[in-house]
Amino acid sequence: MRLRDDIELLRSRIGLMGYLLVAILGVLVFGFWQLQVVQSSHYSELAEKNRIKEIRLVAPRGKIYDRNHKVLADNRPSYNLILIRENSPHTIDETIAMLVNGIGLSREDLLQKINRKGKDPSYQPIVLKEDVGVGDLAYVMAHAYEMPEVSVEYQPRRLYREGRLAAHALGYIAEVTEAQLLDSPNLKPRDQVGKTGLELIYDSILRGVDGSRHVVVNNSGREIETLPDEIPWVAGNDLYTTLDFDLQKAAEDALGDRVGAVVALDPRTGEILVLVSKPAFDPNLFASGISGLDYASLRDNPDTPFQNRAIQSMQPPGSIFKVFEAAAALESEQITPLDRVYCPGSATYYGTRLGCWRPAGHGSVDLYGAIVDSCDVYFYNVGNLLGIDRISQFAKMAGFGRKTGVDLPNEIAGLIPSEEYSRRVKKMAWKPIETIMVAIGQGQIGVTPIQAAYAMGGLATGGRLKQPRLVEPGQLRKLGFESPAVQTDQYQIHESTVDTVTKAMWGVVNDGGTGDSAKVVGFDVAGKTGTAQVVNKSSYKKGSDTEDHAWFLGFAPYRNPEIVVAVIIEHGGHGGIVSAPVARAVLDAYYKKKTGNFNAGTAEKVARLMTPVP
Amino acid sequence: MQLRNPWHDFDWVLFGAILTLSAISVVEIYSATLYGQEHSAAFRQLIWIGIGTVLLFIVAAMDYHIISEQIPWLYLAGIGVLLYTLALGRMVSGSRSWIVIGPMRFQPSEFVKIIVVIAIARYLSELREVRYLSLEQIIKASLICGIPIVLVALQPDLGTTITFLPILGVGLLIRGMKPIMLIVLVLIFLLALPLSWPFLAQHQRDRITNFVNPEQDLKGSGYQVNQSKIAIGSGGALGKGVFKGSQNKLGFLPTRHTDFILSVVGEELGFAGVAVTLGLLGFILFRAVYTAQSARDELGLFMVMGVFGIYFFHVVENVGMVIGFMPMTGIPLPFMSYGGSSIMAAFAAMGLVISVRRRRYVN
Repeated sequence: MRLRDDIELLRSRIGLMGYLLVAILGVLVFGFWQLQVVQSSHYSELAEKNRIKEIRLVAPRGKIYDRNHKVLADNRPSYNLILIRENSPHTIDETIAMLVNGIGLSREDLLQKINRKGKDPSYQPIVLKEDVGVGDLAYVMAHAYEMPEVSVEYQPRRLYREGRLAAHALGYIAEVTEAQLLDSPNLKPRDQVGKTGLELIYDSILRGVDGSRHVVVNNSGREIETLPDEIPWVAGNDLYTTLDFDLQKAAEDALGDRVGAVVALDPRTGEILVLVSKPAFDPNLFASGISGLDYASLRDNPDTPFQNRAIQSMQPPGSIFKVFEAAAALESEQITPLDRVYCPGSATYYGTRLGCWRPAGHGSVDLYGAIVDSCDVYFYNVGNLLGIDRISQFAKMAGFGRKTGVDLPNEIAGLIPSEEYSRRVKKMAWKPIETIMVAIGQGQIGVTPIQAAYAMGGLATGGRLKQPRLVEPGQLRKLGFESPAVQTDQYQIHESTVDTVTKAMWGVVNDGGTGDSAKVVGFDVAGKTGTAQVVNKSSYKKGSDTEDHAWFLGFAPYRNPEIVVAVIIEHGGHGGIVSAPVARAVLDAYYKKKTGNFNAGTAEKVARLMTPVP
Repeated sequence: MQLRNPWHDFDWVLFGAILTLSAISVVEIYSATLYGQEHSAAFRQLIWIGIGTVLLFIVAAMDYHIISEQIPWLYLAGIGVLLYTLALGRMVSGSRSWIVIGPMRFQPSEFVKIIVVIAIARYLSELREVRYLSLEQIIKASLICGIPIVLVALQPDLGTTITFLPILGVGLLIRGMKPIMLIVLVLIFLLALPLSWPFLAQHQRDRITNFVNPEQDLKGSGYQVNQSKIAIGSGGALGKGVFKGSQNKLGFLPTRHTDFILSVVGEELGFAGVAVTLGLLGFILFRAVYTAQSARDELGLFMVMGVFGIYFFHVVENVGMVIGFMPMTGIPLPFMSYGGSSIMAAFAAMGLVISVRRRRYVN
């Protein structure tokens, strides 16, 4: 039968499979025999000293210096307690039970920290406590044998030597978030990265490259040998900023606890000398892992300490805007410096009676007098002649209403209105009376302190606008990083216009004007005070919130200026009384340094004397 | 052919061998997960074994001819499930090879393997008038096996993909080919290996270069096999004792309750434990060879040899891997590694073997 013959043949082939099975099983058993009987002692030895563990050698971050090589952001040694679950002879609960007695953390805290990282691979260390003290270190060292899963890890930590000083310029660092990890292939879990300020903008320059070391750990989890394949870390690059510590300190001391901002820069180069925003936070809190409570109290503070007021807060400029108003009017030939306007203490435009800040009136004033005494009626008149579009056109050209391009994150553009803006955004026609308000820097207009300093520098140097910078690009290029050059914008303005306006600003400070408390003997300071009315006063209830914002915008010397200072104190009152002295503290320190008479103690004393007693 | 008594001539010896292996498996899985994350793995393995046993008895009670008659729709259903898995399956460590039904996850490819065994067996057993397979027949048989292979390869689950190949290989070898055809096929296979290199992921290439040169990277891709060898070697002749393997306990062993379960056996039960385990696995495979030889017809013969092909390959690859004789792939050790789908599929496959054995006498 055909079927039978066929199946017999197949059966014989199956028999061959059986032999193949015997042969292969024989080889495999031989393999095990070799490992387990012949070479068993060799492998037992390997098991004894097993386990190659990688230890991360954290690279120190580059330091941040001021322009005179004074350290602002430094590093210090610190230790973290870490848990590595992979080898643990204990359950998480057992580990926690053993730790709770020794280190000052509650069961819930520990559990929360572990659970937050619960999905990470088990060889990945979980930080239980950052920046521990000697007591915790001793406890963990003493119990290393019972708790091989808990160990101590070295980590260089950021130290902001001056605490809150220049906090908004420096920014802070913290552990990388998961979103950042996905975005950037260069980052590893647990990296410390810049979150804001210079730390964020120049993160890739400041951050070093971590190294590694392999250690052999025996069965009980103890390190018994270091392998010779250590890869050393490469430190991050140091960053030299344009900030001047002495000036910064003078400004911060002079501002005290008041809410506001100070920006000082060199109009010739755009280098920022001072950048203050108050209230500030202490960036050191983030360096050692800010507690939830500390963070919440900062976040919920109504004075918004995280906001960098120097670049992120726009306020009506008040009378400091009159300087630009005057320049716009001269440039468009609507007025001459000699034109006089009679100020009876008020004027009526479009059916509304508007008062001058001095109810008695200034009498007949020319441009010089109008700026020196900050006459509102004069500038109502100028604003009316110019019209909103000519005002906004000049303001934008002068540097307002757009970002200055400073090397800090999240700068805002401010607001310069125009008829077109009013139609497009507010969906209503521009009212001529609003022009009159804008003419004295009130109403629909917003300026940041850095814009004020930037625009002032441009105007005072004949229309040359230098992009403000905290780090000079050449320095970065030397380190091998790409960095675009400082941007310079030049707009057309007559020398006579610049002369007329700056001369009047000199008068504000030195000729019995509103800004005489900014005077520095020997240093020709020019400036303009501003007092911006707080709108919707009725919506504020508490006392100081109804006060006006106090501005001072000045520069020195008034010929060939070297430094521009912008000061705003929110709800501070009158610019000439509260803000001008702060600017003076900065200018005085600058002048003393320049002439070689500076010592740190004097600056502090001056600041104290100049600060009005509340 | 319906047997009157469902217990008639049941292969209790084979079943006993399977249960003994399962017992070792549960104990060592318990040991392997004692300090890890999946504390309940041993308990779950017990449940899979229970379900598997039920499946084994159901399949063994059925006439394999009746199962074979269902093959057209079974095969299509299998393809359908693989397509569903590709489209909507759960992504686990880079491959889409799981589907989720209620609280349970399945790897459909494990069950599709059994379907392919039956389909190939039916096709080959119906070719009666030929001494040697023609090229056309070889291509047809390859297609039956090839469609599911492509779908599994797309998941992409390369380990499982490879485990389909022995079904076809064993079937073709036993059915018979002209020697020249055999040589050509072997040559094509050997040539295809280097051509597949560009399609492999980096970790797969690492596994192969590391297999060729095991000492090159003991901290990276060679780590797992090296740790496995240390565990096995340090176990010695009699082992360190159950629950006492330091390699196992300290977590030096990778995926130790699944792919590397034999390393845990080697460390804790020593050469003796490995010999018993391999002996039982060898016995099961021999039982399949013997059953195939005594099958009453070609359908039964090819079915059993298909099952043999799958598990022979699993054993060779997994056991070879843990001692560095074979490159690393994620192929479980039958009846030993933790895993619901593979355990249930293996028990069902053994049910098929028993079903053939029970009907070996022509009455």
